[in-house]
Amino acid sequence: MISQFFVLSQRGDNIVFRDYRGEVAKGSAEIFFRKVKFWKEDGQEEAPPVFNVDGVNYFHVKVVGLLFVATTRVNVSPSLVLELLQRIARVIKDYLGVLSEDSLRKNFVLVYELLDEVIDFGYVQTTSTEVLKSYVFNEPIVVDAARLQPLGPAAIFMQGSKRMPGTAVTKSVVANEPGGRKREEIFVDIIEKISVTFSSSGYILTSEIDGTIQMKSYLTGNPEIRLALNEDLSIGRGGSVYDYRSSSGAGPVILDDCNFHESVRLDSFDMDRTLALVPPDGEFPVMNYRMTQEFKPPFRINCLIEEAGHLKAEVILKVRAEFPSNITANTVVVQMPLPKYTTRASFELEPGVVGQRTDFKEANKKLEWGLKKIVGGSEHTLRAKLTFSQESHANITKEAGPVSMTFTIPMYNASRLQVKYLQIAKKSSSYNPYRWVRYVTQANSYVARI
Amino acid sequence: MSGHDSKYFSTTKKGEIPELKEELNSQYKDKRKDAVKKVIAAMTVGKDVSSLFTDVVNCMQTENLELKKLVYLYLINYAKSQPDLAILAVNTFVKDSQDPNPLIRALAVRTMGCIRVDKITEYLCDPLQRCLKDDDPYVRKTAAICVAKLYDINAELVEDRGFLESLKDLISDNNPMVVANAVAALAEIQENSTRPIFEITSHTLSKLLTALNECTEWGQVFILDALSRYKAADAREAENIVERVTPRLQHANCAVVLSAVKMILQQMELITSTDVVRNLCKKMAPPLVTLLSAEPEIQYVALRNINLIVQRRPTILAHEIKVFFCKYNDPIYVKMEKLEIMIKLASDRNIDQVLLEFKEYATEVDVDFVRKAVRAIGRCAIKLERAAERCISVLLELIKIKVNYVVQEAIIVIKDIFRRYPNTYESIIATLCESLDTLDEPEAKASMIWIIGEYAERIDNADELLESFLESFPEEPPQVQLQLLTATVKLFLKKPTEGPQQMIQVVLNNATVETDNPDLRDRAYIYWRLLSTDPEAAKDVVLAEKPVISDDSNQLDPSLLDELLANIATLSSVYHKPPDTFVTRVKTATQRTEDDDYPDGNETGYAESPANAADGGASPPTSSSSVPYGAARQPAPAPAAPAPAAPVPDLLGDLIGLDNNAIVPADEPATSSGPPLPILLPASTGQGLQISAQLAGQDGQIFYSLLFENNSQITLDGFMIQFNKNSFGLAAAGPLQVPPLAPGASTRTLLPMVLFQNMSAGPPSSLLQVAVKNNQQPVWYFNDKILLHVFFTDDGRMERTSFLETWRSLPDSNEVLKEFPGIMVSSAEATLDQLAATNMFFIAKRKHANQDVFYFSAKIPRGIPFLIELTTVIGNPGVKCAIKTPNPEMAPLFFEAIETLLKA
Repeated sequence: MISQFFVLSQRGDNIVFRDYRGEVAKGSAEIFFRKVKFWKEDGQEEAPPVFNVDGVNYFHVKVVGLLFVATTRVNVSPSLVLELLQRIARVIKDYLGVLSEDSLRKNFVLVYELLDEVIDFGYVQTTSTEVLKSYVFNEPIVVDAARLQPLGPAAIFMQGSKRMPGTAVTKSVVANEPGGRKREEIFVDIIEKISVTFSSSGYILTSEIDGTIQMKSYLTGNPEIRLALNEDLSIGRGGSVYDYRSSSGAGPVILDDCNFHESVRLDSFDMDRTLALVPPDGEFPVMNYRMTQEFKPPFRINCLIEEAGHLKAEVILKVRAEFPSNITANTVVVQMPLPKYTTRASFELEPGVVGQRTDFKEANKKLEWGLKKIVGGSEHTLRAKLTFSQESHANITKEAGPVSMTFTIPMYNASRLQVKYLQIAKKSSSYNPYRWVRYVTQANSYVARI
Repeated sequence: MSGHDSKYFSTTKKGEIPELKEELNSQYKDKRKDAVKKVIAAMTVGKDVSSLFTDVVNCMQTENLELKKLVYLYLINYAKSQPDLAILAVNTFVKDSQDPNPLIRALAVRTMGCIRVDKITEYLCDPLQRCLKDDDPYVRKTAAICVAKLYDINAELVEDRGFLESLKDLISDNNPMVVANAVAALAEIQENSTRPIFEITSHTLSKLLTALNECTEWGQVFILDALSRYKAADAREAENIVERVTPRLQHANCAVVLSAVKMILQQMELITSTDVVRNLCKKMAPPLVTLLSAEPEIQYVALRNINLIVQRRPTILAHEIKVFFCKYNDPIYVKMEKLEIMIKLASDRNIDQVLLEFKEYATEVDVDFVRKAVRAIGRCAIKLERAAERCISVLLELIKIKVNYVVQEAIIVIKDIFRRYPNTYESIIATLCESLDTLDEPEAKASMIWIIGEYAERIDNADELLESFLESFPEEPPQVQLQLLTATVKLFLKKPTEGPQQMIQVVLNNATVETDNPDLRDRAYIYWRLLSTDPEAAKDVVLAEKPVISDDSNQLDPSLLDELLANIATLSSVYHKPPDTFVTRVKTATQRTEDDDYPDGNETGYAESPANAADGGASPPTSSSSVPYGAARQPAPAPAAPAPAAPVPDLLGDLIGLDNNAIVPADEPATSSGPPLPILLPASTGQGLQISAQLAGQDGQIFYSLLFENNSQITLDGFMIQFNKNSFGLAAAGPLQVPPLAPGASTRTLLPMVLFQNMSAGPPSSLLQVAVKNNQQPVWYFNDKILLHVFFTDDGRMERTSFLETWRSLPDSNEVLKEFPGIMVSSAEATLDQLAATNMFFIAKRKHANQDVFYFSAKIPRGIPFLIELTTVIGNPGVKCAIKTPNPEMAPLFFEAIETLLKA
């Protein structure tokens, strides 16, 4: 069980502080912050999420720039505490619509009320927004969400995609709309984070998809929902691990592993791959899945470094989008560490391109290439001329790279897992709530070695 | 609720407390609710609003749940400091616990259990008994936890009143939430009890396994963790348990998954069928890997656990090494753990893949990660004989890039590789020698020197190479000096020519006569004697064949591993330390001492104050009646301090190193008189060093009075002190004069202080941050409080007329008022004398109704005057203090001082 829970701002200010057991001294927040800020142990400069100072164990997670911290003196389950901290952040966000220092301060009474129901004497009672609604009476004061960084994977829907309403991200599940009436709507987001490592010759060394089917329901009366997935979906790799299907883009979808939210009933899952559930309020993952089956990576990266005279070299970076042309990736950033002795880099983009920027980060000797959008099927090139302050010891390619890439591709998913239909148990024939099924793919660790 | 809560954080310039008091007593409900919110807001930012206790408690009798919750929150925070007033709330609690609304019933029981005041505890029993049998599950589950709360306050009471039986009954409750809480409460009680309370029989086991399926995710963790203590009778039962638990591996909550893994691993020990075991391993692998898709914080915990699991059952993840490859955006703490596991899973089958990864990591930006990657290559070479050559060629490739820290790290691991495979890879020595001049880290240098010495006969210019190091011999770190000594001796024994002979003279001279390092000197003398008596024997000793090392790969000792595996999914498995090495759970009562920084800590009878500490120490520590009290005040007992069996003459206090500072002062001659000093750095924090200190004014001079007590096992010397910037620019006027402190010794010193040296900006604060260092320990930091009255100067006396003039000339906004309801002036004369002694000068006195009004003046350096008006009824509690000063921002500090003075 935990002793204290607190939320600190980036500057170390106490925003929320709740002591559940009175067995850890009050100065713990300060001790914690100093320790984390000046961490230097075991040759690492970043504090691990769990550590012990003078008999007090500190757990922390970072959520939208805030530190959610718990302390304890006993040998608890650390995954329980860390998971709990994430859930508290989610519950608070469900209630406040936006999680930020400002919204926490404006709603501190509500937050304390929530904390009293979530934890009693250090023991988690519930983190379900649905359950909490019957015990919590304060109403949230909604803060302006315009400039605030949203939380969680669905946050990517905030990024400039006009096709999708971003409201699910910042709408409180309990506060009423200004008009007094709630809009009947349900959001189902299929969010995939992909990790790919290409070898220097362009082969895929590792590839992995971490996916989530995220749901946020604003339906009154909590009707039952049925979600149908690909019928040929199979779980668990058969045979040898290295037995990847060579074909990509066809054949059944094979997940390595998946898990489900506790509200999900799997009665007919084995038969027809449908999930039935009565969605609780608040945002929650219906299903998490993981896949290492080979898939077609959305981007191919090509990098060439050549010496170009004394103390000079040229880098040619090519990025090719290998998805259909009706799909557009946005907020693409390509990064590449350059040799430490690089002093200058001058860039040359293709003639006439718009929405691209280039930068040489002097401090950490990094090349950065930003592309506002990349349309499927297109290819882009960047040339960079480098100037060095000394001769290279060996091969320049050994001292530069790897090239890493971040991007978001709406309406695209690499796994081909699909929600075939989303059925809402009907109350009446006229009942027809808004249903949003949205796909998005995001880079997790997308790296090309050179 | 209207408007924004944050407005409650804004403060008016003066009289915040009286204003709140007024609002709390308003006839309007909304205004009262708003006021309570303001109070809570003040409380959360650490302001002392305890003086509003009665007013807030008066708001408790309300039907409004929102307001009631706020009042309860306040109560939990302050009841401890106002135990007598807290009793006022009891009636409402008891009434609420019978309210028709289950939420109110639960709220009452929940809150009462959090108020750790003995008097209230008595009243808690009846409501708790009722609530444990309540019809509403919400009330029952709250009551279940409340039993654990009560046990923490008064274990006897819980046992006497039969609460444990009621709690055990709840295990069979039909509501899974109630079951989960009952299990959690019982598990905690068991943890703190020596006799068996919560024993899991096969009957409870099956009940709990059934409840498992219906519980919330958190309840599942409680139950799984409680069940993991259960020892199955035979393989069959173990298999049955595992079968019931396995579906939990599919849970989305990582804590459930890890607790289920723990349970399965434990039962697996009993299962004899290899098929079943293999099958279970297969089932556990995917969920374990899936944990690595969670947030990095959880990944870290998972990786630390996996590290243990693969040491016991390497097959589980043998085929999954790819998932441990580092992602470029992994936090460093995740990358480091992944590397460890990659080494553990590296095999002849996957080593090529793994080496490719390591090589890539070794060219990344993060220096620490790069070093670890290089070391990992070396460890794989040592672990996998057939791959050693490939590993070495990768290391050589890395050395050729000539990145300094890569080269040094590579040399360190190559030394180990030579130890593992003697006479196999010496051909690479030439390449290593090329990097000789770039080595600047002791460990790398020492490793290189060892290599040269070990293979002196194969390196043509070994003597030149070693000689180049000899010039700087006296400046080298001990580690390098030792290796140089040994290597030179080896060289001499292998090539007894003129050059080495001269070198050995120089080295032996340096390592015996010119050094203060006993290790080096002893080793040098042994070599010297060996060489001078029997060179052949020296050869046998120094050049003896060394045992081949094996790969440890940070393998844990088997018994430790067993213990850690039993603690999977607990902190122990993250730290890789047995629980008893870091769990220092103390009964909550003992914790009170740590409340020093609690804003009102010093104002209450319960909290530690110097006077109390003296009482506690004076009564014999073995007297049972004072044990809880005495224990409460002692910071964790220092191991070196034996409790005196018989009264010991006070004089000896210092000599036998009693950590009980209450015995020290009083009659002790030679050192300054005065009350015992408050302990600012308890021995438990200071690795045995305890520091007590307080500011004091004496003859117009300010001193910092300090008491150092050394309860550690070593002599401490070289004490120095430094003060952080503070509101008054207090700093030491000279160096700290503390003699070396032998173990058990203590010393008291007066450090003269000066003002206005290093002033901190911002509003005046009483915080004084102090740092003390010595030669043996890390720097200690602690906080002290500046009490304003030590600054009162002796020229602060004002004539009546000038007092009146000054009072009138200052605007009313400079008047600040504070009430001290808990303070009583019992004798005007004694108080006046006492105040005069601290340079607070009496000016006049008048009667107002039944009250006495006193006027005083005082002055602090830089000529800042304080005009003071004290109003009280002699012999009755309650003092009102109004002050006028040109610097009203000093008022809070002044009030702190006057409060201390009046209490003394």
